[in-house]
Amino acid sequence: MNADRLHLERARVRPWRPSARVAAPVAILALGLGLAACGKLLTTAPAPGDLFDAPLDGLSAAELAAFAEGDAQFGRPFSVTEGLGPIFNNVSCASCHSGDGRGRPENALTRFSRGTDPARDVGGPQLQDKAIPGAEAEQLPAGVDRSRRLPPPVFGMGLLEAIPEADILANADATDSNGDGISGRPNWVTPPEFLPAHGGAPVVGRFSRKAQVSSILEQTIAAYHQDIGITTDFLAAENTNPLASVATEAADRVADPELPAAAVRSVVAYLRTLAPPAPGTETPARGRGRVVFGSIGCASCHVPSLRTGPSTIPALANRDVALYSDLLLHDMGDELADGRPDGQADGREWRTTPLWGLRVMRAFLNGQAFLLHDGRARSVAEAIEAHGGEAAAARDAYRALSGADRAALVDFVESR
Amino acid sequence: MNPMCRLGEIARFTLLALALVIPESVTATPSSSDPSDSLASAERPFVPGGYDDKPHLRGLFGHIALGGYAEAHAVWERVDGATEEAGFNLKRWNLLASSRVGRHVQMWAEVEFEDGGSEIVLELAQLDLELHPGMNLRAGMLLVPIGRFNLAHDGPRNAFTDRPLLATELVGSALSMPGFGLFGRVPLGGRGRGTYELYGVNGYHDGLLLASPDGTRLPEGRGNVEDNNASPAIATRLAWSPAEPHELGLSGFAGAYNRYRVDGVDVDEKRSVRIAAFDARTAALGIEWSGELAVISADIPPGLVGLFASRQAGWFVETTRSFGHGGLRTMPASYFSVGARVEGVDFDRDLAGDSRVQVTTGVHFHPSPESVLKLDYRRSRSRDRFNNSSEGAAVQLSFTSYF
Repeated sequence: MNADRLHLERARVRPWRPSARVAAPVAILALGLGLAACGKLLTTAPAPGDLFDAPLDGLSAAELAAFAEGDAQFGRPFSVTEGLGPIFNNVSCASCHSGDGRGRPENALTRFSRGTDPARDVGGPQLQDKAIPGAEAEQLPAGVDRSRRLPPPVFGMGLLEAIPEADILANADATDSNGDGISGRPNWVTPPEFLPAHGGAPVVGRFSRKAQVSSILEQTIAAYHQDIGITTDFLAAENTNPLASVATEAADRVADPELPAAAVRSVVAYLRTLAPPAPGTETPARGRGRVVFGSIGCASCHVPSLRTGPSTIPALANRDVALYSDLLLHDMGDELADGRPDGQADGREWRTTPLWGLRVMRAFLNGQAFLLHDGRARSVAEAIEAHGGEAAAARDAYRALSGADRAALVDFVESR
Repeated sequence: MNPMCRLGEIARFTLLALALVIPESVTATPSSSDPSDSLASAERPFVPGGYDDKPHLRGLFGHIALGGYAEAHAVWERVDGATEEAGFNLKRWNLLASSRVGRHVQMWAEVEFEDGGSEIVLELAQLDLELHPGMNLRAGMLLVPIGRFNLAHDGPRNAFTDRPLLATELVGSALSMPGFGLFGRVPLGGRGRGTYELYGVNGYHDGLLLASPDGTRLPEGRGNVEDNNASPAIATRLAWSPAEPHELGLSGFAGAYNRYRVDGVDVDEKRSVRIAAFDARTAALGIEWSGELAVISADIPPGLVGLFASRQAGWFVETTRSFGHGGLRTMPASYFSVGARVEGVDFDRDLAGDSRVQVTTGVHFHPSPESVLKLDYRRSRSRDRFNNSSEGAAVQLSFTSYF
């Protein structure tokens, strides 16, 4: 047997034993192929326009850094040892606003008062139904006006804030001087004393269900205080249950204020620069729906577009905002009345809800929809049917539409 | 009765009991003082892969065995397309020590330096008084017998880079508590045996609610070094093994977690945590299988009901197969393994959502039985409390070895 043949025989019987010289390149090749496929293997991001928590286009690096910090603060849940409570509704901002969008009926808040009196002597204006050990959760007192409120979406707030007051007032017609049956009026609110440089002069409220809040800062401070039980540099005294047998503060485990102004400001910066989701693609049916939307009177209150004014944030300045709202109060009739005034808004009035984010709302509510102030409507059609008061004529016109036009209208609204 | 008389009576009874028991233990244990002859290793380990089955125990240094293990991770993790983590971590560097003191006493200890030393924990410091194979005394900082994984979780023995979610997120592994109790083994014909552990431990403290921002989380209630409520908990595990490596285990834990009595005055309702766990492992056709299931119930104060879970559950099943033993000429003790783990945790069974399921697959290279280089790919789906889902994925490379 010659040497070559012997070598071949040995090669046949020897078990495969890869040497490091072979194994290393194979491993590197496999790793390279794996990394090349990482985009899919390691998940892909949804389009920013399909999210409630994407930043506005055109933000600077510094603005995006503030956005990122505020995003973290918005999502931060508080433990009892970090200041949660003593009485509260939930543990974080994000735990009420699903994906930064609207909430569900299970985490709706109960607001209560006696007329325009916030009923602070009995725990108003909001029911805190959760409490840390040692504190007593509030029970709804007798003889008060109450209103269930679904947490609203929080995107687009900076755009709403940047709309000049004069442009909002331009659509007001409190006495219905033009006789169209629509009599929108602003909710003039006096900013609370905890806001810096508030000046005490009334301003147009534009946030929350009855436009009873005038700024993102006010909303943020109040939500920390009322919803989570977190005191801040702006509002450093704990919210208490005045009907409890033991002082609520006795259960508190963290010295006040529990959150510095910087953290509050970062959340404000975040909310201010949250972009509304992109509307759906235009189709012939939606085009028809848009026409019907205008022709039956929906657009009288759901004003398709307002324009922002100057802003220190260029991405917010001087741009059209397709919010489909006039940000004014309207009488919505007995159908939607909660019987509870809020500032100058009476028990039948509600701010026109912006129609945006509806296209993707179900993606953040496990496939469901909860519309109107208390989430009672499970579809746009149900929400339209619940309209009354100033909107009764538009509702009746909707009912009189052909099936195709009704479907086109609903499709158009749900594409916003 | 005069207290001194009563003490004397107790002492006489104790001596009598020991006199009855110790001769049995003497005959049951070899006379050598070599740790390898100890009761715990007279046959197969009490916990395979656990405290009495580690490589350092084979290297004797007088009466003291020293060793440990290190675990280094490299991780690239993304959630919904955004990078959550990409970096390196010295996950654990653990020192193991064991010492035999005379014929009937043995000490076991483990000090863990976690996340580059940012957390240092005395994970194990137990003293065993070996009386009889069927009944021995154990005291100190004990690994709580809730499922098998908590008893045997070292990096080189863990099938994947990460520990199971059930262990880390629900139970809080490595979970150790100060305690006192009994353990033993009973032969059950042929190669079979039963083992038991029964301990009184300090239990969890109320951090599982108060220090947790995410709802009920038992790991936040660890570290109850001085019992916060003067109310010990009970932890036990019964295991049946017909032969190595087949084993079935049942575990139970119950104990109050809150401080409900102050100076004899009841200031709150007594609230408890209860855990039931089932574990199993086996091997067939060269494939090893193991898994655990745990259910948890906790009493929640009325003011936190709805936000904090009263019921939780978790499970995992994992399988591994080794191959290529001695396949590398330069590393004759080496081999490869592949494996997969499927697991899930439900942080709040009262709610749709607040849960996570994930699948991990891995290819691992073992230069020696004590060392392993792991390349894992993990895919997960988490659901928040609104029941919205998010997708996560990670590539993990880790190297871990006993020393």
